Amino acid sequence: MLRYLLIRAGQGLLVLFGVSAIVFFSLFLTGDPAAVMMPPDATTAEIASFRHAMGFDQPIWIQYLRFLGHALTGHFGDSLRYQQPALSLLLQRIPATALLALTALAWSSLFGFVFGIIAALRQNSALDLTIRVVSLLGQAVPVFWLGLLMIIVFSLRHHWLPSSGMGTAAQLVMPSLSLGAYYFAAITRLVRASLIEALGQDYVRTARAKGLSEWRITVRHALRNALIPVVTVQGMYFASLMGGALITEIIFAWPGVGRLAVEAIQTRDFTVVQATVLFSALLFVVVNFLVDIAYVWLNPRIRL
Amino acid sequence: MKVSAAFALTVALVATAPAAWSQEAKDQLVIARAAGTTAMDPGFLRESATIVDNIFDTMVERDSQMKLEPGLALSWKSINPTTWEFKLRPGVKFTDGEPVNAEAVKFSLDRVLNPDNHAPTISYIRTISKVEVVDPMTVRITTSGPDPLLPTRMSRYPAYIVPPKYLKEHGRDYFASHPVGSGPYELEKFVPGQSVELKANDDYWRGAPSIKTVTFKTIPDATARTTALLNGEADIIEDLPVNLVPMVQASPNDQVVDVKNGGLTIYLGLVMSQKPLDNLKVRQALNMAIDRKTIVNDILHGMATVSGTQVGKFDFGYTDIPAPKYDPAAAKKLLAEAGYPNGFTITLESTHRYLNDDAVATAIAQMFGDIGVKVKQKVLDWSVYLQEVPRKGPIFMLGWGSTQTLDADAAIYPIMHSGEPYSTASIPELDKLLDKSRKIVDPSKRAEVLKQVQELAAKDVPLITLYQQDAVYGKAKDVVFSGRADARIPVYTIKKQ
Repeated sequence: MLRYLLIRAGQGLLVLFGVSAIVFFSLFLTGDPAAVMMPPDATTAEIASFRHAMGFDQPIWIQYLRFLGHALTGHFGDSLRYQQPALSLLLQRIPATALLALTALAWSSLFGFVFGIIAALRQNSALDLTIRVVSLLGQAVPVFWLGLLMIIVFSLRHHWLPSSGMGTAAQLVMPSLSLGAYYFAAITRLVRASLIEALGQDYVRTARAKGLSEWRITVRHALRNALIPVVTVQGMYFASLMGGALITEIIFAWPGVGRLAVEAIQTRDFTVVQATVLFSALLFVVVNFLVDIAYVWLNPRIRL
Repeated sequence: MKVSAAFALTVALVATAPAAWSQEAKDQLVIARAAGTTAMDPGFLRESATIVDNIFDTMVERDSQMKLEPGLALSWKSINPTTWEFKLRPGVKFTDGEPVNAEAVKFSLDRVLNPDNHAPTISYIRTISKVEVVDPMTVRITTSGPDPLLPTRMSRYPAYIVPPKYLKEHGRDYFASHPVGSGPYELEKFVPGQSVELKANDDYWRGAPSIKTVTFKTIPDATARTTALLNGEADIIEDLPVNLVPMVQASPNDQVVDVKNGGLTIYLGLVMSQKPLDNLKVRQALNMAIDRKTIVNDILHGMATVSGTQVGKFDFGYTDIPAPKYDPAAAKKLLAEAGYPNGFTITLESTHRYLNDDAVATAIAQMFGDIGVKVKQKVLDWSVYLQEVPRKGPIFMLGWGSTQTLDADAAIYPIMHSGEPYSTASIPELDKLLDKSRKIVDPSKRAEVLKQVQELAAKDVPLITLYQQDAVYGKAKDVVFSGRADARIPVYTIKKQ
């Protein structure tokens, strides 16, 4: 068990190391970073002086080691555009992304469970069919299209909700709905599938034979076992949502991590790109690790 | 269960959310922009100056007709070809109470010129070699050579005047998020990534502004931005895309503001060091093979002006040169004369940044195809494109302008003079004329040389000028705003009826 966790932790570190190398060296892929960061009409002397100030004139491996050392202590350097440390910019944006991600995950989980359970219990009924079609649509519809559609219907046509921005609860509705649609659909389908599978197991038949109520059988016996894959998947969903819901954040002008990353890429604000990418990678590694532990905890039969 | 509680709370709050965004006072204004605001130190901007322009003043300003007019300086004159003297407006104060004087001007320019500070737009005022305080209200600026554009340079960033004492006390980082200037507005609230709220400076030297609070909101997506206008959440929006214009026109409460000659001039860069673009006849043939009128009318819905010169109509030195006649037959003949009777194959690079640029590039590829030139189209993301543009191509689509200098020099020198980072042209005679234009201070003599430059460019085709884009805004009908050729939004001049 301990050995397994150590191996997983080691693998996580390797992933982070790899990601750090990629984000660092990608800076040099499109040519001289100093020339890129200075305005088009800068003189060669100005570029050279800037290059020296940024340390771009040193051997690349020294620069990489220095970058690694700084990254380990949370120093990614200042953002060129904001003239602020990249890490503090990132930290400023995390609450906004967390609010959006948690709201989206909350409603999609709640409704995903409810609809998934109903569909499983009424398998092949008209209700089940409806739920299956809706959840299929939820996964098929592109998030940007759904977002724009909602803006047109709820803001433009009916003036019920503000079209963008963050601050009031009303502004949270459309972004979280459009962002959660996919996860709602995915969780519904997953809960339905694993519950149907669990309900067909021997222990359920035994419970039925014992004369337990259908409610008790579903909730206490089947659902508990059906939860394992769902929890795993939700861990991953949370990590990917926290890495920034790029499209949703842009459409609704939501000031989160995803929009910060996209804007940094567009304006070649490298320190910010490096910080956000490493942050996302770290999040994935940590969540993966926690999910591994959760496996053992949820199902003691799993031996690692 | 926590999860359901959070959702129930959301639903409850939504049900009671006030419709505050639809009703707003006559002295409040909301402007939605695509780009976010990052830092507001006007000496070290890496973005457009739209917001800081309302907080800070320059010594020289421009009126609505783009003529230079006194700002913080009452008057200026050139004492000799390399020295200019500015007399400052007495009694002006920064909003923290510091006086706007010669010391402040010297401080503001010196900190940008100091090479250790790596100011991103130092090049705009690089010709300055020395700034001297003559007396509290007089500044003398010496340039390294004759610089006819110095007053113009003093009318835009990075030449905004900042308060020295405040800056020395708080430092540059603090200043970038807590700017203090002498302009019509002062910062009220800055929410990074979301909005900047300004309030009126009632002691402004031109008089108190009629709009008391203005909020600049960031809405990157064009559809969402347009919706914000139609929904009454914004009074003015920047960068209204061509395909959404009909939506705004159809709205009973909103209008399109189409500023002719307000945008960049789109051109095809030609890498002249590569065959067959080194051949004059080939360049001329390509120039004649493009049906500019059809592109502007059909693809851009008329939101651009066909032009034969890179210089904009409002720029100093503008010469009215008609676009070359669309004549595919003559173009074919020229190609044959140049030794390419069966045409050739060439790559055309473009990006997503300008009005319907994708469709325009495709149309041009077809028009080149009509004269036998087979085009391989390559569409790149802007951040990658910028790296390829000056070197690869060999034909690339780019927008350029003199925005905010409103002088022909910025519109042509960087893209036509050989050796410049963005230039792929190499015509010795053109270089000579361009060099000459930079050494003349006398406006009428300078205009004559600039005219020669444009005439020669029309003949020798260092690049293919296509059209000048309009600047397209959307606005609520009750807002009085007509847009400016220099792309500024001076809220001081805007009124709400």
